[in-house]
Amino acid sequence: MSLALLKERLGEIADLQHAESLADWDSRTFMPPAGAEARADIVATLTRISHERFVADEVGQLLDELEGTDDETDAALVRLTRRDWERASRVPGELAAELAHAAGVAVAAWDRAKAASDFASFVPYLERQLELKRRYVACFPETPVAYDVLLDDYEEGLTTAEVQRVFDRLKEVLLPLIAAQTGRAPELEGPFPVERQREANQRVLEAFGYDPARWRLDETPHPFASKPGVDDIRLTTHTDARELTSLFSTMHEFGHGIYEFEIDTRLARTPLGHGTSSAIHESQSRTWENLVGRSQGFWRWFYPQLQPLFPDALGGMDEETFVRAVSAIRPGLIRGDADEVTYGLHIILRFELEQELLSGTLAIRDLPEVWNARMHEYLGVDVPDDAHGVLQDMHWPVGLFGYFPTYQLGNVISVQIWEVAQRELGDLEEQFARGEFSQLREWLSEHVYRHGSIYPPRELLRLITGSDLDPEPYLQYLQTKFA
Amino acid sequence: MTGSPLERLLVRLAEVSDLTKAATLLFWDQRVKMPPGGSEARAEALATVSRFAQERFIDDEVGRLLEELRGLEESSDYDSFEASLVRTTRRQYEKAARVAPELVGEMRRAAALGLAAWGPAREQSEFEQLRPQLETLLELRHQYVECFPQPEETYDVLLDDYEPLMKTAEVREVFAELKQELVPLIEEIRAGGDVDDSFLDAEFDPETQRRLALEILRAFGYSDDEWRLDETAHPFMTTPGAGDIRLTTNFRPNDLTALFATMHEFGHGVYEWGVDRSFARTPLHAGVSLAVHESQSRTWENLVGRSRGFWRWFYPRLQEEFSAQLGSVDEESFYRAANKVQPSLIRIDADEATYNLHIILRFELEQDLIEGRLGVADLPGAWNARMEEYLGVEVPDDARGVLQDMHWAGGSLGYFPTYALGNVISVQIWERALEDLGDLDERFERGSFGDLREWLHEHLYVLGAKFTPQETIERVTGSRIDAKPYLRYLRRKLAPQLA
Repeated sequence: MSLALLKERLGEIADLQHAESLADWDSRTFMPPAGAEARADIVATLTRISHERFVADEVGQLLDELEGTDDETDAALVRLTRRDWERASRVPGELAAELAHAAGVAVAAWDRAKAASDFASFVPYLERQLELKRRYVACFPETPVAYDVLLDDYEEGLTTAEVQRVFDRLKEVLLPLIAAQTGRAPELEGPFPVERQREANQRVLEAFGYDPARWRLDETPHPFASKPGVDDIRLTTHTDARELTSLFSTMHEFGHGIYEFEIDTRLARTPLGHGTSSAIHESQSRTWENLVGRSQGFWRWFYPQLQPLFPDALGGMDEETFVRAVSAIRPGLIRGDADEVTYGLHIILRFELEQELLSGTLAIRDLPEVWNARMHEYLGVDVPDDAHGVLQDMHWPVGLFGYFPTYQLGNVISVQIWEVAQRELGDLEEQFARGEFSQLREWLSEHVYRHGSIYPPRELLRLITGSDLDPEPYLQYLQTKFA
Repeated sequence: MTGSPLERLLVRLAEVSDLTKAATLLFWDQRVKMPPGGSEARAEALATVSRFAQERFIDDEVGRLLEELRGLEESSDYDSFEASLVRTTRRQYEKAARVAPELVGEMRRAAALGLAAWGPAREQSEFEQLRPQLETLLELRHQYVECFPQPEETYDVLLDDYEPLMKTAEVREVFAELKQELVPLIEEIRAGGDVDDSFLDAEFDPETQRRLALEILRAFGYSDDEWRLDETAHPFMTTPGAGDIRLTTNFRPNDLTALFATMHEFGHGVYEWGVDRSFARTPLHAGVSLAVHESQSRTWENLVGRSRGFWRWFYPRLQEEFSAQLGSVDEESFYRAANKVQPSLIRIDADEATYNLHIILRFELEQDLIEGRLGVADLPGAWNARMEEYLGVEVPDDARGVLQDMHWAGGSLGYFPTYALGNVISVQIWERALEDLGDLDERFERGSFGDLREWLHEHLYVLGAKFTPQETIERVTGSRIDAKPYLRYLRRKLAPQLA
């Protein structure tokens, strides 16, 4: 009885989140611009009601009654719900509302600041975000460092010290690897007509397992994936005739989409019905974008199809040159455009700076200078202005502190899981070369996707790989690929 | 919660409005963008969000606040925002609070099942497949009527859902007048010989149609900043928030009907667009009733979109884009074809004159059903007999007869009359606009629609739901609902087609 009641309440909250997710998707895809104000009201109301319904005392009582249940899935539901409930209950509604509101205001200010490359105008908003974040952290029991609390929101059970160890090790290998790059990599020269890019995206998605009856693909400036409800997966991509990047971003979002799509539908309308953490999610987007989409095997299959779509740009380029061009290490300014190797340093830099900001050892006004110095130190690039430097990402404006590390952890985890898949499935590249991706998809579904959030991220990782977070497989992969 | 009772009521109503708008967006998305696989989860989400909206509206707290606000309502000017808000909200609250949430849920479920059965029943033209659902829906309608004080006529309760405070007797009177004039008028037109519209039976590239429809809409007042136009099998308009007006239409490759459907939906959209923005997130921020809404869709579709002035402006563009199909057709021939009156089987394809008889037939049958004078099983027979009587057409099968509309299958009984009332009201308002603005045709010829739109905005749209529908009509036209202007308009317009 208690279980049915709990599920009813959680189902209701999931329905409100479904509406919220759609409202967000719609506001980024099809909403006429003048609808923004009304939309903000709708989202705020849905958020508030689902928060109220969730932190209610009845939920706590139901969780108490359900403690010690035998069924594994039910126990996982109770465990995760209790964790979420305790975290949500610690934060007063007022503060949650202030955080949501500050994010909305700061995004608009960030847009303006970025357009004008004017960091000074953004300082007050960043100050406000940090102040709220400190108040947020204060709602939780004391941890060795304040950053632990933020990290735990995205990556359950992971501590700052552990991330630090992984990242130190990455730095040790990546910095010399980047420094050792000599000679120019081949460059892709457009134009790549957008209609043709769309055709290429569609072909790849369908080979991967995209089903038009259950998925959509639309265009937005910043690509993303979302799932309003079961069997309703929505990806976006950004096509630009000057570049071929939309193909990779489409494969990236497919990875997020397929993870959500394959989750056991029995977990729908409960907190278990989503991917288990940001890093595990990112491991899957990186798998499909990089481990599949930048592999030799993949291009053996797809380059003969891609080349005729862009006869002007690719007619004279052979497959091997093309693969080198799309995999090359090119230290640059923008995280979103970074290659597999330099990407990690963009993240490590952010991870370091956000800790320093939170602890107060770095003053906000000094942020651009420190950013630029460290970009020079890690990547040897000079930041020309703040728009291409500290103002490039939306994360801090919306209050996402502690989120960045999960991107790089995703890279690390992707190869840990990949190694197991390869051991069990044999030569994957040979399958890719035939346009065959279903064995990999089914294997990932069986071992990762279908479980949703039944296992916390580190437990899932241990179940699949037999080990904890470990940067070595990823480093070996990079060294093999780029040495 | 803190604040004055009015502030507290506004907070509560804003929350209800937000939930209702969220449901609106879920619904729009389902019809326009959602992959079909998502329908099950969407049904759950829609049910939950709608339930929250209903529960939070009929909450006792809303009732208490409305009581506390009686003083403010009485001491405020009748036309003021405060008095109008309390008055309108109270009416809606008292109505909604009478119906048990369980019954609302049951009706919603029965409607969903009815609609699910309607599709296949229509495809296979088998009324029997839908009959049990219709019987259940009718039974639930009776239970619904029971929730209210004894009306003069049972049908009054149903009608009130769509046309607040309108009485069956009044509709009957208006419709009797329409029928009396229209049946012989249509007979006379039939005797007048055929209008050639064979050139409309051709291929018209949907992409080109879309471009042309947007040209028309932009001249009417559509902008990308506040509007969208998408495509669905059945055109509709909805608004998931102030400043966010969404139309849909259906560009078919074999005719130009979508141009008119698009103008029709624009009329619904511009009404919502024009409601005073300071009413946002209250029950006043909406068109006042379905009939008044339909009067505006009909205004932009027929009074504007089938006018001589309009086609003097736009026909050259249409001809230019479709030169193969229309190159040798002159403007006058096209205008006549666009206004051709011809009795037919399907309501939504009907012309301006015969349309009303399709509605009157439905209005009569609905009353017979709810009063128990007609059994559901006998509905197809009664339908076919009356089609023959009013329009002189023989119904070959139920798909093109009693099964053509989804309204009854979805539990909407009492909705149909608002369509014909909309026609009637449209011309009442139009006559006043002409009095104030003078020659509109001359403006349309120049592609200028701003004066008309602004007049309608200022006199009607801006009011939203501040007043009752009857008050609204009287304020705009100076009289009660009246069929005569509409009949005058039809007689004048159709004179060339008469024998």
